[in-house]
Amino acid sequence: MLELRNITKIYNPGEVTESCLFRDFSLTVQQGEFVSIVGSNGSGKTSLLNIICGSTGVQSGDILIDGASMLHQKEYIRYRRFGRVYQNPALGTSPNLTMYENLSLADNKGGRYNLAHGTNRARREYYREQLAALGLGLEDKMDLRMGSLSGGQRQAVALLMATMTPIDFLILDEHTAALDPKTADTIMALTDRVVREKQLTAIMVTHNLRYAVEYGSRLLMMDKGHIVLDAAREQKAAMAVDDILSLFTSISIECGN
Amino acid sequence: MLNTILETCAGTLTQGLIYAILSYGIFITYKILDFPDLTVDGSFPLGAAVTAVLLTRGVNAWLTLPVSLLIGAAAGLCTGLIHVRAKVRDLLAGIITMTALYSINLQIAGSNLTVERAVDTIYTSAPVMAVLGGVPLLYRKLLVSLVLVVLIGLVLEWYFSTKNGLLLRAVGDNDTLVTTLAVDKGRMKILGLVIANALVALSGCIVCQEGRSFSATMGTGQMVFGLAAVIIGTTLFRRVSFVRGTAAVVIGSILYKLCIQIAILLGLPGNMLKFITAALFLVILITGNLTGRKGGADGAGAA
Amino acid sequence: MKTNLKKLFAAALAVLFVFALSACGEEKVPVIGISQYGEHESLDNCRTGFLQGLQDAGLVEGTDYTIDYQNAGFDDNIAKQIASSFSANNVALMCGIATPSAVACYAAAEDKDIPVIFTAITDPVAAKLDSGNVTGTSDKLAVEGQLELIRALQPEAKTIGILYTTSEPNSVSAVAEYQEKAASFGFTIEAVGVSAQSEVTQAADTLLARGVDCFTNLTDNNVVGVLPAILEKTNEKHVPIYGSEIEQVKKGCVASVGIDYYELGRQTGAMAAKVLKGEATCAEMPYETISEYGVYVNYAALEEMGITLPEDYAARAIDALA
Repeated sequence: MLELRNITKIYNPGEVTESCLFRDFSLTVQQGEFVSIVGSNGSGKTSLLNIICGSTGVQSGDILIDGASMLHQKEYIRYRRFGRVYQNPALGTSPNLTMYENLSLADNKGGRYNLAHGTNRARREYYREQLAALGLGLEDKMDLRMGSLSGGQRQAVALLMATMTPIDFLILDEHTAALDPKTADTIMALTDRVVREKQLTAIMVTHNLRYAVEYGSRLLMMDKGHIVLDAAREQKAAMAVDDILSLFTSISIECGN
Repeated sequence: MLNTILETCAGTLTQGLIYAILSYGIFITYKILDFPDLTVDGSFPLGAAVTAVLLTRGVNAWLTLPVSLLIGAAAGLCTGLIHVRAKVRDLLAGIITMTALYSINLQIAGSNLTVERAVDTIYTSAPVMAVLGGVPLLYRKLLVSLVLVVLIGLVLEWYFSTKNGLLLRAVGDNDTLVTTLAVDKGRMKILGLVIANALVALSGCIVCQEGRSFSATMGTGQMVFGLAAVIIGTTLFRRVSFVRGTAAVVIGSILYKLCIQIAILLGLPGNMLKFITAALFLVILITGNLTGRKGGADGAGAA
Repeated sequence: MKTNLKKLFAAALAVLFVFALSACGEEKVPVIGISQYGEHESLDNCRTGFLQGLQDAGLVEGTDYTIDYQNAGFDDNIAKQIASSFSANNVALMCGIATPSAVACYAAAEDKDIPVIFTAITDPVAAKLDSGNVTGTSDKLAVEGQLELIRALQPEAKTIGILYTTSEPNSVSAVAEYQEKAASFGFTIEAVGVSAQSEVTQAADTLLARGVDCFTNLTDNNVVGVLPAILEKTNEKHVPIYGSEIEQVKKGCVASVGIDYYELGRQTGAMAAKVLKGEATCAEMPYETISEYGVYVNYAALEEMGITLPEDYAARAIDALA
């Protein structure tokens, strides 16, 4: 269970550009939930993810996992329990390493990065199977430099890498936004399958209302640092894209978007 | 006649090889970590200063190699800590250490030092003489340098293939990835600087033994030399996948020294040497770019 | 790409080949490799004198020897490469002008035990060039003569300021000698060390602020390089600077007891000629210094400082600007 308790986040405190994003913000995500978050630009979606992962600090409040505070943990330490896929496909993999090397690195997460050989022949077949299961033909490109692959291919590998070792939470930061619609659909379907298979707790920020409605078990809509809609399970299941769209449009109009 | 050509080549190759160890260091900071590390201009003479002092005190020549490695590593650690922990910009962190090292080097050596012929260097040490005693010094220098450079290159290539080495390569490529792998990227950057400057100081150590001297100003421009060697090497071999990064760097270093050698043979005025090397450098880069264009940029920048 | 690489290597090798060839064409005539640290009046004078010294000994360029002159542009690493290229080209003799070049030549000469002649080195002992197949001439300063000159020209003076580079062994030993000998002439020495040329003018300000009565120069390249800037400051404060050789007096120092680098070079050339003719080896000849020092004066600068030459000096002084 992930809890955000009374979070206050102010950007540029004490300066003329000071702006308060969250005041007394709280959110609880239960074990096994797949939360989709939508909202207009500047509503605080990505900031929320950054706060959870520790990429950005907060002025007050607490962040807890299963009741234990992790507010003072460094970002890299928090990632022991998190996997994250970014909007930019380049951020999920190392472009100058081969796909095989990338997968080996991810496979070693949580272990020691010592002077043992970096790639493991014995695991190669396993990676091959995993890649083949993506259905993108990537299993034949394992020895290519990651940078020579397309954005969609890289994003698929990034997703595989983020979930390769046991993690508790998967953070998806608009991870389909930079892809063409067809590739985005493929990646989204893959994401859903991985989350189900590994029974992960997932938090996904998306611009795509259709994905928010079709995937996940809970839907949040955010506006100016507040949750304006929180629909779980049955309530969410009853919703259609049009319902969300009208609500979304009303927020956006208020914002002058 | 053939002899003169061979000897000129041997001399130039030796110069290219012993400075290639410095280029290995720059390869790690510039090419792998994407860190413009100016510490080099200080850690190179640091290795030479320590070596000159130890040699004149009668310390075994081979022992100066690990000592230089260690002391160079310490210099890299300083830059790393200043940059990562004190959050000083990369260029400035290097400049700070480099400036401090200028004084430290003089403190270590007293002043410019010369190593007498009576003192054994690695090139005249007993184990080398036992194997290569019959070979003239010029070729002995070439062989010993070649063995050292190849050995260090192999160790580096092995390191780059280990788990830690892969992580180091990833940190320069995309440090966000390293963070999501639950590793402190700052620590990896420091480690990279430590390894790089250890190599640079080792190069200083060997250059000092080859030239039997240390001078406070010998580090000036070494960062630029190393960059040139790395860029020439990696640009020329960009399309040749079987050439390893380290090998490309060694060839880059040799080509650079060859350029200077040609300038010397042409009898070009000393004041123009740097200009001529700059011009040759530019030509190589442009040729490299033209032939490498098909590869295109992959635009895989990390935040 | 591969063909391009091959072309590049081939071109480079071809150039090497052609020049190595041309160097070998005149195989009978011994080559003298002159490695000069950088272009600098004193060092240039040394070289001209050296060439003259060879001719004075009856040797003829072209038939008895040829010259391969290289200049390192004040870069230690290039000095090393020049030296190793001399060695590879089998020169008959190397001549190193200024310490870094001479040290590099001697290290490279180890390969084939080529004789090395040096000049413009203040302290051959510190540079470890005092034994082995190496000899030459030292431009060691005439410290006592200089102190005597200053005493004669400024009878009231108490402190002498010296600027020097701390990494220059020559300068460090010269400062020590000045400090040792100053007291017997009734002077105290104020020395300020710098680590780079950019700090010299600031150091000059420091000395002026300490109220020194005059400056005396060493043959410190960093200091001499910015002499005009120092003179600008000292002239304003009416503090005379004594040079360490004629070129500095030409630039505006009041006077100098010092060596003429041309003469020093000629003396070196004579030594080189002996080696070439086989009359002596470098190992047999100890290094030499110039025993006769000249007194060079700049009358305009003296007048500006309000200093008149005592008669004994006036008689033997050489007008540096003449």
